[in-house]
Amino acid sequence: MKAMLLIAINYVREQRWPVFVLLLWILLLAFLGLIANIPRDRDELLYLFKEVAMYVVVFSIFFGGTAIHNERKTRRILAVLSKAVSREQYLSGLVLGVTLACAIYCLSLGITGSWTLGQAGFPISQVWFLMLCVIAACMLAGTVALMFSTFLNPFFGASATAIVLLGLPAVAGRVMTPGWDAILPVYSLTMIVLKSSFNDPGTVTWFPIGLAVVETVAFWVLAARIFAYVDIAVALE
Amino acid sequence: MAAVLEFLGISKEYRSFPRGRRLAALDDFRVSVEEGEIFGFLGPNGAGKTTAMHLAMGFTRPTGGGGRMLGRPFGHAPTRRRVGFLSENVALYHRRAEFLVRFYGGLNGMGGSHLAKRAAEVLRLVGLQDDAYRNAGKFSRGMLQRVGLAQAMVNDPDLLILDEPTSALDPHARVMVRELLLSAREAGKTIFLSSHLLSEVELLCDRVAVLHRGKLVRMGRTADLLHAAGQTEIVARGVAATDFAGATAQDGVVRFYVAPGSLRAALEHIWTLGGEIVSAHPSRRSLEDIFLEVTAGEDSPAPRGLA
Repeated sequence: MKAMLLIAINYVREQRWPVFVLLLWILLLAFLGLIANIPRDRDELLYLFKEVAMYVVVFSIFFGGTAIHNERKTRRILAVLSKAVSREQYLSGLVLGVTLACAIYCLSLGITGSWTLGQAGFPISQVWFLMLCVIAACMLAGTVALMFSTFLNPFFGASATAIVLLGLPAVAGRVMTPGWDAILPVYSLTMIVLKSSFNDPGTVTWFPIGLAVVETVAFWVLAARIFAYVDIAVALE
Repeated sequence: MAAVLEFLGISKEYRSFPRGRRLAALDDFRVSVEEGEIFGFLGPNGAGKTTAMHLAMGFTRPTGGGGRMLGRPFGHAPTRRRVGFLSENVALYHRRAEFLVRFYGGLNGMGGSHLAKRAAEVLRLVGLQDDAYRNAGKFSRGMLQRVGLAQAMVNDPDLLILDEPTSALDPHARVMVRELLLSAREAGKTIFLSSHLLSEVELLCDRVAVLHRGKLVRMGRTADLLHAAGQTEIVARGVAATDFAGATAQDGVVRFYVAPGSLRAALEHIWTLGGEIVSAHPSRRSLEDIFLEVTAGEDSPAPRGLA
């Protein structure tokens, strides 16, 4: 457990600059909250809030897809795995790290959203529920990308494959029956966020969040199984 | 003595993509490192030394055979709590040296004031006490190697696996590391190290193995290997080099080697010729001689292709 936490915290520290750049968007939202005419511009503020929330979901895929690759490329992974750290623990540390990095962002966005949207009459409890949906989506999306990165070395390959896989249920949901989009709930979780409005903030539904957590565990197990067979010392091209 | 590290006929092949060519990095490799010894691992570039170490650490999986480290199969994570590893090209996070050592100690389950104390101690041992709070990202390669050594020793391991531990160090630091390793052996630790610095290996190692193209070509006690020829070197004055087979003359003395059974006859021959014996002592080959001998005749250091 301690090793997992150390790896996670270390991962967040390593990603501090991308996280910082993402946080600038939240700063922009806060700035607009200061200067905007809230009653008049509330829909624009909500739109920006939703857009900024979506950025972190995309970033979580790149976070997950590049985590192992960067560590292998720099060969820093050797010193970490030369300790009493199993590959499962290492991956769980990375999953937790990706989730923490996204959670920091979501916490900041939640605080800013509560302030700006709360002034405009959006339920603050719903803001935090939406942030929970985003964190769950990030956790699952990052883990799927991480799983692909265990055997797809070029990180764009892993991230792109993850995007395709996560998008397939959405396509199936549109082409076939709507229930398909709930299979990998990243899409359905993001839709909860995107569909919320001042008129209809949405309802709290825990099923997709719970499913995302369960599937995160499943993809982590799968990733660990695959990663156990990977020669981590082989130089990456 | 108990075997601490055993390679039991282990093989490793790499397959190139997309051609599928197979490269044998290690072929039926068998070595047993015993408790409390310093074992030197030699070989040209691409001989398979690093591959063997990576197999022991569980970084790569063998294509055949196996091995045991501290009584457990290679790759058993909890066993690594008793192992310290230093890779050839030390790659660490850009953090303060002291933080790094504590981080790696923490990964081994250490914590609290004990870890803080131990981190300070190992940084002092590698001579980095004054740079402990500097960012390792700004360190020279030699300093990085010393941080790497500190993180390998932070858990007071029973077994140290060191891949080229002194390659980037200046002579002072080399002496320091040598003394560090010797005192670790005194404390009962086992050390398995690879090095291209053969003079270092000669000074440090109880036993050595020479690996060439993935195969073990020579192994034995360092002292035995160095004296394996059993010849005696004779230096004489007042005789001609032509009087003795294979003799060379330089600075007024003649130098030649004789087999164990011919020593008395050679000495008597010098006296008969009116010469004077300057010295006669068992010839000692250097590890470099042995290394060049067993790895001779191969221009390419790369592993051989099997396809």
